[in-house]
Amino acid sequence: MNFLLDPAIALYTALAVALSVWIGVFIFLWRVDSAARELRRRLDDESPARPAAAPRATLEVRGGRTQQPVSITEPKAE
Amino acid sequence: MGAGLRLAQTAKLLLGVWMAGIVVAMFLVIPPYVGLGDAGRIIVMHVPTAWVTTVAFALSAFYSARYLWKRRAADDSGAVAAAEVGFLFCALATITGALFANIVWGTFWNWDPRETSILVLLLIYAAYFALRSALDDVERRRRLSAAYNLFAAVTMPFLLFVAPRLADSTLHPNCAFIQGSTCDGVWLETEGVRIGQLGDVVLALQGLEQRGDVAVAHVEVRTPGLQNVALLEPTFELASGKPADRPEFPGQQFLLAVEAVDLANGRALLNIEAPGTGLLSNSRTFWTFMAANLGFLGLFIWLYRLRADVLVLQERLARREVVHELPA
Repeated sequence: MNFLLDPAIALYTALAVALSVWIGVFIFLWRVDSAARELRRRLDDESPARPAAAPRATLEVRGGRTQQPVSITEPKAE
Repeated sequence: MGAGLRLAQTAKLLLGVWMAGIVVAMFLVIPPYVGLGDAGRIIVMHVPTAWVTTVAFALSAFYSARYLWKRRAADDSGAVAAAEVGFLFCALATITGALFANIVWGTFWNWDPRETSILVLLLIYAAYFALRSALDDVERRRRLSAAYNLFAAVTMPFLLFVAPRLADSTLHPNCAFIQGSTCDGVWLETEGVRIGQLGDVVLALQGLEQRGDVAVAHVEVRTPGLQNVALLEPTFELASGKPADRPEFPGQQFLLAVEAVDLANGRALLNIEAPGTGLLSNSRTFWTFMAANLGFLGLFIWLYRLRADVLVLQERLARREVVHELPA
């Protein structure tokens, strides 16, 4: 492997290493970007089917008396 | 795929090709620099990453200020993302600078004012991330870290631009960044103001003479504490109006140059040059450098937006899990 550090070709070795690193970084970023976009799309798609994030209330009639509404509220949004 | 998304994807692909071109240009287009050899090529990576650091931290402060004003979670995500990517670029600038220093100064780290100030900046932003991770309450975390971020941003210009220039002695080539720019230098006279100071080095103009088509200055150089005293003879080409011989300071890696002469009145403009000064006077280096600035800026924008997106998605997922845990 020492031939790679020969002064005549060391510059090309450094170029190949730097280019490989950039290509690797670029592919990684591209994949993360795609995955994030896909995840966002899926979250957007399923959002309408999810229980409403706003407070919900149910009214029950038990023994002819109306009870207090029971609200189910998700913890304060962050 | 929408038109906006298609445009964004195309821009990212172009960025990939652009940066690959810069990497190739860094090794094959830029000429080796006299006195630095191939080490001078690192300017294409080192300086743009430092500039992008400035942009990133400023943008982070902008988002923090907007968070404190409008209290929107997306602004907090933007501030964190920009600070994280800025921290990454700052670390890259430090590492590439250390590599350059090892080649030019002979050591990776010597607590030069420039090195020290960028390390302090890294620590300040490391404390920002530590602060965020130390607070459990989300609202409090966002509020306090946004306030801290504003204070951190105030220190950034001082640490990056002012502090290194206030120092009397730095090996960092401060005048290398803008084509045509020079340090001010000092005018000395054979029959008047003979003694001047550049950094912490004292110069005394002993004489000025013309030898053929060059002017020769006889300059006594004294380093701090009189550790070294030497007589240097920098020369100046009268025909081209450019410095010729640049002798090296004793015991240091500065060069002494005559940048202008007035033989009739016995005056000479003396200046110091650190290794790396004047790198951008070569047009191929200059344009590759400018392209690298643009490329790194594009890379920063992509990275910080992606990171901000991931933070928002993490938050949405966390909220989604909370909803699932609610009683049916």
